[in-house]
Amino acid sequence: MIIRIGRIFATVVAIVSGLFVLTDMFVTQWPGNFFGLKMAVNNLGLLLVSWAAIVTAFALLLGFANVMSVHANRIRTRQPGAMYSGVLLLSLIGTLVVGFRGPASANGQFLFNAILQPLEATFSALLVLFMATAAYRAMRIRDLESLYFALIAFIVLLGQPPIGTYLQFELPIIGGRFELPILKDFILEVPALAGMRGILLGVALGTIATGLRVLMGLDRPYAD
Amino acid sequence: MIANLILATPVLFLLIFVWLIYYFTHRVQNGKKPLLRSIRGFELIKGLTGRAIETGRALHLSLGVGGLADSTTADTLAGLAVLSYLAQKAAITGVSPTVSMANPMTMLYAQNAMRGAHIDDADSAEEALRHIRWIAPQPTAYAAGVMNLLAIDKAEATVMVGHFGDEYLLMGEVAARREVAHVGGSSNPNALPFIYLSADQTLMGEEIYAAGAYLQQRHSHIGSLMAQDAIRWLIVFTIFGGILYHTIK
Repeated sequence: MIIRIGRIFATVVAIVSGLFVLTDMFVTQWPGNFFGLKMAVNNLGLLLVSWAAIVTAFALLLGFANVMSVHANRIRTRQPGAMYSGVLLLSLIGTLVVGFRGPASANGQFLFNAILQPLEATFSALLVLFMATAAYRAMRIRDLESLYFALIAFIVLLGQPPIGTYLQFELPIIGGRFELPILKDFILEVPALAGMRGILLGVALGTIATGLRVLMGLDRPYAD
Repeated sequence: MIANLILATPVLFLLIFVWLIYYFTHRVQNGKKPLLRSIRGFELIKGLTGRAIETGRALHLSLGVGGLADSTTADTLAGLAVLSYLAQKAAITGVSPTVSMANPMTMLYAQNAMRGAHIDDADSAEEALRHIRWIAPQPTAYAAGVMNLLAIDKAEATVMVGHFGDEYLLMGEVAARREVAHVGGSSNPNALPFIYLSADQTLMGEEIYAAGAYLQQRHSHIGSLMAQDAIRWLIVFTIFGGILYHTIK
């Protein structure tokens, strides 16, 4: 019974909060103040969004506890990779201690500029290598779909660099001129763009439907 | 007058959408279920729990780098719908998936979904909750964590549904090299080529939002799929009508 009441309460709070934030989005566009109503809805919307930020900050603390518990358990049960878990926990605690003086402190800045940023940059650079291996695998023709994929990729890749401009010649029987960069531009601007817009339109409809289901109380991920 | 009409259009659009969702959900509840086209990604997900039991190896689910209080909320909810299905399967079979995410708020929702599926058994709920792992808030750090997770846990299969960016390829390539069964899906068009390159099956764009309808046969999800189709036809006819009008004019 208590669980049921809790679910109903959570649903009501979620629907009312969602409706206020949605109304705020629309009311902002309307001209006039409607006897202070517009300002009131604006302020309430802002307040609810700021509460979401506070909740996220608390969630970060719980995330911290989750990392600690998962890796401490790995070390305790001597699972494979327990050594890495040890390094992770030491780094976590070390960063936390340094962070007590604030992220703007000299040590905090050192951590970010000399360790974290270069590591992230190095890791992102790995993407180039991964892209090459993924492209190699994709170019292997297994079926008709991968044949289209490889063919289109080949045309676009060849049409992109300056050498592509030399790939042009007169068409023998039908007449006219074939220019690879023009074909590449056509592929990118017509079928690729049309496909992209189709995906985006579908995503927009899917996003609205997902949001409306939550607003209507048909979907309750917070109370399931 | 025209300005007011333009301002009222989005409200009108939403009201029509709400009515359509209610109408189609009601129809589905009365037994008028439509025939859903087969999506191979969801078919593969349905078989993954069985494979994990047979091989005794873990099943990994990534909820992506999105959160629940920003523009990526819908993608994260789509990932949570997949989790909800896998958690229910886990409650029956006893094989819990390892769930990872980059946003701590998503972690709380994932824990909630897992707890909800194991509501009758506190011990198995506690065990299942141990498999939920918040890794790191930065996308590259998260990708590094997932790469490690796939390698160390020797996952049998990985499902990655949610919001992803370029970092997807880092995780996807590890899965592809280790020949792990892999289903990926995102609404971000920039991440889709990476998913297509590395995954066995790709959930393209809006397909991820159909998870609840395909995996759990939820009436409201099937109803909203039908509402989306109705609105899509409305948009197609409006575009077509606009072209005709301007051509004749």
